[in-house]
Amino acid sequence: MMGSVLAAGGEAGAYVPAREPQFVLAVVLGLLFALGTFLVLRRDIVRVVWGITILSQAANVYLVTMGGLAGSVPFVGHGDHGATATTDPLVQALVLTAIVIGFGTTAFALVLTYRVYEEHGTIDLTEIGDTHE
Amino acid sequence: MSNVVIAPMLVALVTAILTLVTRARPRLQRTVSLFGGGGYVVAVGVLTWRVFSGPVLTYQLSGWTAPYGITLVADQLAAFMLAMSAVVTIAALAFSTDYIEAFGQQIVYHPLFHLMVVGVTGAFLTGDIFNLFVWFEVMLMPSYVLVVFYSGPDHTRAALQYTVLNLIGSAVMLLAIGGIYATTGTLNMADLAVRLSNPEAFGITVGPVVGLAALLFAVFALKAGIVPFHFWVPSAYEAAPAPVSAMLAGVTKKVGVYAIIRLLFTVFGAAQLDLGPFGDGSMLLFFGPILLVMAIASAFLGGFGAVGQSNLDRLLAYSSIAQVGFIVLPLAIVATIPLTDGGTVAVLGGEFTVPTGAGTDGLRVLGIVAALLYALNHAVAKSLLFLVSGTINAAVGTIETDELGGLTRSRPYLSGAFLIGGLSLVGIPPLMGFFGKLTVFDTAATAMATNGTVGEIAAVTALGGAILTIAYVSKAWNDAFWGTESMAVVRATAQPLALLSIVVVLALVLVVLGIGLDPVYEGAHGAASAALDRGAYIDAVGPSYAEVQS
Repeated sequence: MMGSVLAAGGEAGAYVPAREPQFVLAVVLGLLFALGTFLVLRRDIVRVVWGITILSQAANVYLVTMGGLAGSVPFVGHGDHGATATTDPLVQALVLTAIVIGFGTTAFALVLTYRVYEEHGTIDLTEIGDTHE
Repeated sequence: MSNVVIAPMLVALVTAILTLVTRARPRLQRTVSLFGGGGYVVAVGVLTWRVFSGPVLTYQLSGWTAPYGITLVADQLAAFMLAMSAVVTIAALAFSTDYIEAFGQQIVYHPLFHLMVVGVTGAFLTGDIFNLFVWFEVMLMPSYVLVVFYSGPDHTRAALQYTVLNLIGSAVMLLAIGGIYATTGTLNMADLAVRLSNPEAFGITVGPVVGLAALLFAVFALKAGIVPFHFWVPSAYEAAPAPVSAMLAGVTKKVGVYAIIRLLFTVFGAAQLDLGPFGDGSMLLFFGPILLVMAIASAFLGGFGAVGQSNLDRLLAYSSIAQVGFIVLPLAIVATIPLTDGGTVAVLGGEFTVPTGAGTDGLRVLGIVAALLYALNHAVAKSLLFLVSGTINAAVGTIETDELGGLTRSRPYLSGAFLIGGLSLVGIPPLMGFFGKLTVFDTAATAMATNGTVGEIAAVTALGGAILTIAYVSKAWNDAFWGTESMAVVRATAQPLALLSIVVVLALVLVVLGIGLDPVYEGAHGAASAALDRGAYIDAVGPSYAEVQS
């Protein structure tokens, strides 16, 4: 009775997710997070914003991966594989929401960067820190 | 299924939209905003009354049953937090209409303020962790703009720091949510509690959830501004307009505290596993010691930081870090000590059992009551102090303590309000703060009986933190209010009566909450019991496990 599509890992006898795409994505995710972290630690604010954007996009890719990348059909009965299981649609819905939020925050962060440039005449974080007190 | 659950959210959302479309007519916009704020208080009041006089209320979005749809849950914990935020919200909103320049109000202020309230309300009510992420974002996005509201050099820098830290926090939260979904197969909090306490039945492993929960916990600590996630607090509170600082300290900070209570105690605490050096039992045991260290660090770092400040807002911001340490200290104590009675309760018509959240000795309940009472005290007292600081800024034009002095002579009511707020932070009876501190010390003392070391460490921290509170409150009082009148104070002629009246009313609220503590204590007790009553929470949400696969 626990065989709901949402139960983690599916049940015995259901399809086994393909390993290769998951492996590739794991590597890609690692690289994206490394790149994002590297950029966030830069002095240039624009790079910091890029870093945040990459981090949040990497989180989105990770979310999709978490739904299981089986390369399976979007609907039960769709296609001619006789598939009885579907790719989890929930993570896709989550990622859509997250992308929209990420769009808004990135736009705001860029506007804020411009505003910082207008106020301080620089986008170098170390120079901005000097104006205090 | 009850529609009253979404009433506060709808009122705030509709108000936000109405203030957006009435921008051409500032007076009308301000009226709409104030009425909307009043409507919010009424909606929260009705919801609180319904929840405290009846069962846990839920609202299943679009009629989808849990765990497939989004569930909103109003239990006594959520209602208590909502009532707390409603008090601060209406005071800050009324203050804003007189304090913020007319042009700023007309352009963005009111819609943003109400949207922030929407986010806060949603975060308190949601029963779904991804939905919690969304409400956090709804709450944060207006707050980014409100922090940078004056958009001078200091404001843009503070907002940049605040925004970047919180955006990283959002990415981390998304990671944790994705991981939890992949490991447990659900996002619904009640469902999560059921699955974590019956891992075999669902074929899941609980181990990885500890790390994922720790990621979530870090994000909540960032929102609450607990050391070591406190870096954004001082500059953001200083940069934001006074009523916004009051909202940030009084309301959005409490969202982080609420999330810690809800997720750790109600949900993740249900997981039973061997935690190695942390002991064998509830997942809470893992978070207890960590939270304890963070609470101690917050109380001392914030306290020492506040003593050294010469800007009133910065002093209050550092004080906020210290006070959040006080709020989470009792939570840390009770999370560290294993339950005396590890019984289970049957849920969902006896289909599953979950471990009880509250032990027979009532220590867990006491700890959460202490946290809630202290949170209420901090919400009202700190927002009062930020509003006093704003009134001083409006009247004198500066909040640097070396430029102030002798305010007691020319402005006795304003000084009196500051004194009440300050004394409540210190914990002088009969103010609200006394009972907050009392229950914190009570928790530490009770804990000594079962686990001496934890209780003693907590008692010493609370004592040290209390002494530091006395130090910085008296420093602010001596520098700004007592002594000879400074030039700035003598020259100042502005009499912001509207602002003053709001501040005085809020000070009276603090006195009334202290004197009439009984219902407040009952409320906090009900809220704490609700936070630990996993059975009632899960049964109210009622996740169904019917076969959906063809």
